[in-house]
Amino acid sequence: MKYYFSRYFLSYPRVLLYMLQDTEYKLVPYLDWVHRTDDFRLVIKRRKLVLTKKVRLLLVTLRLISFALFVSVTATIIYGIATQNGWWIAGGVVLALVAPFVLSHGLLLPLYIGYILIQKPQERRIIRKARKVLNEHQGVRIVVAGSYGKTTAKETLLSVIGAGMKTAATPGNMNTAIGISRFAMKLKGDEEVLIFELGEEREDDIRPLAELVQPDIALVTGINESHLVNFKSLNRTAATILAVADFVKPEDLYLNGESSLVRKYKQSGGQLFSQKGVGSWKVTNASTAMTGTKFTLSKGEQKIRASTGLIGLHTVGVTVAAAVIAIKLGVSTKKIEEGLKNVKAFEHRMEPRLFHGAWLIDDTYNGNSDGVKAGLEFLKEQKAKRRIYVTPGLVEQGDKTQEVHEKIGEQIATSADVVVLMNNSVTGYIMNGLDRKKFEGQLIIEDDPLFFYTNLDQFVAAGDVVLMQNDWTDNYR
Amino acid sequence: MKKTVAVFFGGQSTEHDISIMTAVGSVIKPLELSKKYIVIPVYITKKNKWVTGTALKDIKTYQSAKIDELIQKSKPVQVTFDNGLTINKQKIDVAFPAMHGSYGEDGSLMGLLRMANVPFVGSDMDASVIAMDKVLSKQVAEANGIPTSKFAFLSRDEFAADPKGQTKRVAKALVYPLFVKPAHLGSSIGITRVTTLDELYNAIEVAAFYDEKIIVEEAVNNLIEVTVPIIGNEEPRAALVERPLVTAGDFFDFETKYINGGGKKSGAKSGAQGYSELPATLPGKLYDESVGVALKVYKAIGLSGIARVDLLIDEKAKKVYFNEVNPLPGDLYRHNWRAAGVPSVMLVDELVRYAEERFATRNALQTTFDSSFLRQF
Repeated sequence: MKYYFSRYFLSYPRVLLYMLQDTEYKLVPYLDWVHRTDDFRLVIKRRKLVLTKKVRLLLVTLRLISFALFVSVTATIIYGIATQNGWWIAGGVVLALVAPFVLSHGLLLPLYIGYILIQKPQERRIIRKARKVLNEHQGVRIVVAGSYGKTTAKETLLSVIGAGMKTAATPGNMNTAIGISRFAMKLKGDEEVLIFELGEEREDDIRPLAELVQPDIALVTGINESHLVNFKSLNRTAATILAVADFVKPEDLYLNGESSLVRKYKQSGGQLFSQKGVGSWKVTNASTAMTGTKFTLSKGEQKIRASTGLIGLHTVGVTVAAAVIAIKLGVSTKKIEEGLKNVKAFEHRMEPRLFHGAWLIDDTYNGNSDGVKAGLEFLKEQKAKRRIYVTPGLVEQGDKTQEVHEKIGEQIATSADVVVLMNNSVTGYIMNGLDRKKFEGQLIIEDDPLFFYTNLDQFVAAGDVVLMQNDWTDNYR
Repeated sequence: MKKTVAVFFGGQSTEHDISIMTAVGSVIKPLELSKKYIVIPVYITKKNKWVTGTALKDIKTYQSAKIDELIQKSKPVQVTFDNGLTINKQKIDVAFPAMHGSYGEDGSLMGLLRMANVPFVGSDMDASVIAMDKVLSKQVAEANGIPTSKFAFLSRDEFAADPKGQTKRVAKALVYPLFVKPAHLGSSIGITRVTTLDELYNAIEVAAFYDEKIIVEEAVNNLIEVTVPIIGNEEPRAALVERPLVTAGDFFDFETKYINGGGKKSGAKSGAQGYSELPATLPGKLYDESVGVALKVYKAIGLSGIARVDLLIDEKAKKVYFNEVNPLPGDLYRHNWRAAGVPSVMLVDELVRYAEERFATRNALQTTFDSSFLRQF
């Protein structure tokens, strides 16, 4: 109540649009954020409102509605005073009080109308055209699905197969039907291999994407609690992701054998890949450091000396799968080795860099428990003056939130010397895990993540290894 | 419970602005980031008005006209000496002087804090007085068997009374090239390198403009300049030996340090005060000898908390000379400490601990005793 009047600042329409943009125009997270916000002056912290065409249009609309409300309130109150009618004055005051809610909720109406009348039909048209393009395309289609590690797997496949064949892959996070379709529309038609990342946020998301793409080969990176808040149960997550198995032959299905949930839910068929190898391809001499990971992959006389810029032994499995898929497609071992050398750490994903004499591993795009586990295993092995672990925790873990974070706390306790937790709703759970494993290092609870990140140079020194995992956007708390 | 730390900075000194940088960037920020302290900034203006306020913790305040407005509006701080120090009704647990040069680093502030009976960071009054006097510190070093370059000194009054005679006296005692320095100023202000009698005369005149005491030193041949940051009380420890990079025949003056950013040299790393080689690559055992000499100086002068010892090395003769000591290095030389594995947050925390440790040791000493002396009358 103390900050109620922060809704009357001129910046309020921009703040509402920022919240809408930050929640990717999703109704429930947006409304949830609006309802729990006290002081609207403090919402925009991490980034700025991106003024897209849609945002500009909505901003003009909101400002017009704001102006109309202001005129209405003023006119009503003035009329009430002039006619000495208390009801009009009271009506004006009530209208002034509800005006911010009219704006925050009324904003959704033009958005919904725009979506139904413009965006949806446009998207349908693009998807229809893309389906035709893909039906006629002669290239081999590989799909990557899973709760985590999709981008790394996709980029590794692109690098390895691309070294010997003309290959295209969906860029960035374009892993929805419309994203894949836009990618398909840009294809030249002469590609020998197409790689698609399939995104899943809700039950049965994968099947329509697979129907659109019609894959020849599928790679499942793993299954975990990501987006559990939407899926409600791990059974549904697993069924959604493993739906890709229905679209490929068993021998063309590659499953991460290091994911316990993949092993638990997989049907018969499919090849399990891991740090040990895949099928009759075996891994030996695997080692990892800040500069990358090395191993030898062999099958009889055939040998691939792999060297990538990825860090952590957990990357070996997916690298092996990419190499074996490349061999199956006819890429020579020499070209595969060349391709592997070009695999670098991806931006914000276990990306190491030197920072004032310390090693800083940026894994802020990681948002899943398996990634946390892999990162902590790597941190534990580092010979450092101080092993510093920084995290806000994970989002969208549904009813597993407590369990997942207590487990993370336990893992941190045995891997780090200094722990920096960004204070939020899961901090207590991580601390429970730390207590359970009797963590004896230094624990810092930081209320202002941005302040911490911008002053990181004050915290670190030569000889430190800092692992920063996950980063919550403004809409999470 | 969080401790309250008062950070003193600014002051009537030629290094006023550098003090602001040290205080805001290298003291206040890490103290607050450590989550262990409540920080009270005490800014002393060039006109000697003492002010405090949250806005003083932000460097942007000083980069705009905001600071003038703030100084004008602010009431002077109220200080209470109540067997301790209370500033604007807030009891101070530890004082953190972040003032360079006159009044701050020369022992003046330390004397005040000592009398107030509050723990304070850095060297005590007596060591600060010696450290900030280049003549005294060299005399102390010599008395402790630490080599220094040959030097002579004179007062402003002596020079004013007989400028030519005094110049000749100094020139006769030493061999060119010579360095003329104000005896108490830091940051290399007023320093001139001279090779003739005329130049010497002019240089003394310039130095006398800044200080009452002037020191003239012989240059060291085959020179390598290095600096060694040190922290601690009874058992001090050194960071890394650092070699500031300057052009041949030049020296590390104020402009090079703070204005030109040191002048970039290939292969050099950026330090807080320009470009330097860190750690310094020195032939033979000179690295270890430099650390040894620096620690010996630190102990001989009686420094505590933090300091930086500057040394001159004759590369051919393989000899390390003590040059001067800085009891509060600009920026706390945090870039060097960070390279040595000590992050800024840990550095300021250690310094506060050293302050409390020394305070406890001093307070254990008996300074009064009961007597019936006055009752006789």
